[in-house]
Amino acid sequence: MARRVRDVLLIGTALLWLIPTYLVVVNASTAADDYAGPSWWPGSWGFFDNLSTAFETADIGQAMSNSLLYSTGAALIAVGVAALASFAVVIMPVKRPAVWFWAIYTGTLLPLQVFLSPLFNGYADTSLYDTQYGMVLIYAAIAVPFAFFVIRNYMTTAPREMMEAAQLDGASWIAMFVRIHLPLARGALLAAFLFQFLATWNDLLFGITLSTSPNVRPLMAALAELNGQYAGLGPPVILAAGLVASAPTVALFLGFQRFFVNALKLTP
Amino acid sequence: MTALDERNSALTPRTRPARPGNSQRPHGSLLLFLFPAVALVGILLILPFLFTVYRSFFRDNGFSRSWVGLENYTTLLTDDIFLRSVLNTGMWTAGTLLLPVLLGLLIAVGTNSVRWGPMARFAIVLPYALSGSVTALLWNFMLQTDGATNAMLDSLGLSTLERSWLLEWPMNTIVMIIATTWQATGASMILFLVGLQAIPAETIEAGRVDGAGGFRLFRSIVLPQLRPISVVVIGISLVNSLKTFDIVWLLTRGGPGTESETLALTMYRQTFTLSRYGYGAAVAVILTVIVLLASWTYLRRQLRTN
Repeated sequence: MARRVRDVLLIGTALLWLIPTYLVVVNASTAADDYAGPSWWPGSWGFFDNLSTAFETADIGQAMSNSLLYSTGAALIAVGVAALASFAVVIMPVKRPAVWFWAIYTGTLLPLQVFLSPLFNGYADTSLYDTQYGMVLIYAAIAVPFAFFVIRNYMTTAPREMMEAAQLDGASWIAMFVRIHLPLARGALLAAFLFQFLATWNDLLFGITLSTSPNVRPLMAALAELNGQYAGLGPPVILAAGLVASAPTVALFLGFQRFFVNALKLTP
Repeated sequence: MTALDERNSALTPRTRPARPGNSQRPHGSLLLFLFPAVALVGILLILPFLFTVYRSFFRDNGFSRSWVGLENYTTLLTDDIFLRSVLNTGMWTAGTLLLPVLLGLLIAVGTNSVRWGPMARFAIVLPYALSGSVTALLWNFMLQTDGATNAMLDSLGLSTLERSWLLEWPMNTIVMIIATTWQATGASMILFLVGLQAIPAETIEAGRVDGAGGFRLFRSIVLPQLRPISVVVIGISLVNSLKTFDIVWLLTRGGPGTESETLALTMYRQTFTLSRYGYGAAVAVILTVIVLLASWTYLRRQLRTN
């Protein structure tokens, strides 16, 4: 009896959880002109028209390609830079590795708001404001501490014998790093890359603070602008854009679920 | 918990592997390896952080700046808008600890060993793949006065329950916490599931042999074993809830007026809308202190009792 009640509650919760997604899909598919309040069943089919309205109004296509550039670029830079630093702290005979660790890791403990206004002023003074270079640079910097944390932890737990056995006589540090430690740590590198890719893709705060023109603006900032025209454009257009904006993250997330579980456990 | 043990090990000296044969002097290459990370973090994060702290002692409108000492902070303490913002942030923290964490635990335990478990869990975890902004977009549609929630209530004959969800405090903060619960429960559920599956079957079996079952088994056998993973889940939720920005920015802009602002929004509005850079910096510093204190006290207490 108790088991029956539990099952009903759990299945009920799961169904309840699906309702918003279901309603959004149905109403994003309704042609904007036919929309007359939220409906439970699909009426007309206008998903792609809605989408093209969204793309024209808020330049969603450009914003998506910007976000793709920022997410890929920043995650690649961050992972590379973090791997170098992890190697130095874990493998090389550094004095006071703990000091270096905290110097880099502190960046992820501080709330992002505390960086914003000096960055805004600094970007304005150095003409990085509203440029693609500027965006890649800040997203990379934000991503370094956590990527460093993941890769460093991995390097400290990797089997030591394996590394020692693989060490080459007389090889330079760089050769050791490139030939042995990078390949050994590829699981951690991939996890850090995926995690930072998604974090950058999902960012709103820096997008609305450090960029303004449609050519530079990342996707979430463009969606925010689109959402501001909710009344004028109608919900189907907004929802269609929201669904398309989520497609890459949903795909990545479902494809690499195991990596996220591992990365989540390490989140500060 | 591995994450915490490993974090701790950062502080203890470690033995090093044998160095390469001709043992190069590391100084030159050390710079090469550490410099990029330290430079990026130092210039783009630590320097701005220090400048924010410095700026919080000034009255600063972007053009002129004058030293006012602690005045920004003392003004904050009597600023009703700021105090409301602190209250809202507290509601976010309490709500996030109560809802996504508890629900995640219950769903993980409930679906762990049933046949249809994976299907139910998929429904819960799907929203976690969405960003905060997209979640806000979807829930904007749900929560508008002419939106889907009211339409749903209407079609169920419950029109007396219809509300202007986003226009009245504290209802707007509560429904936004629920929207976040919808998005975030999947994450804590996954983590609790990982913790559950790490409990040795013999432990559970031993409990059963001793006559424990149902709730007692859960309370005295399962729950203590989940303690390390709970530290991680609660820690993440705590810090994230303190930094709540995206969903509030998109759903209410902190409004109506400033009623649903969180600290992150108050800082943003003071700084970028009102150009009160010093005052905004003081809000950012207070937020930072709260975040650091929360993670520090919490982690320290947990580590000591472990």
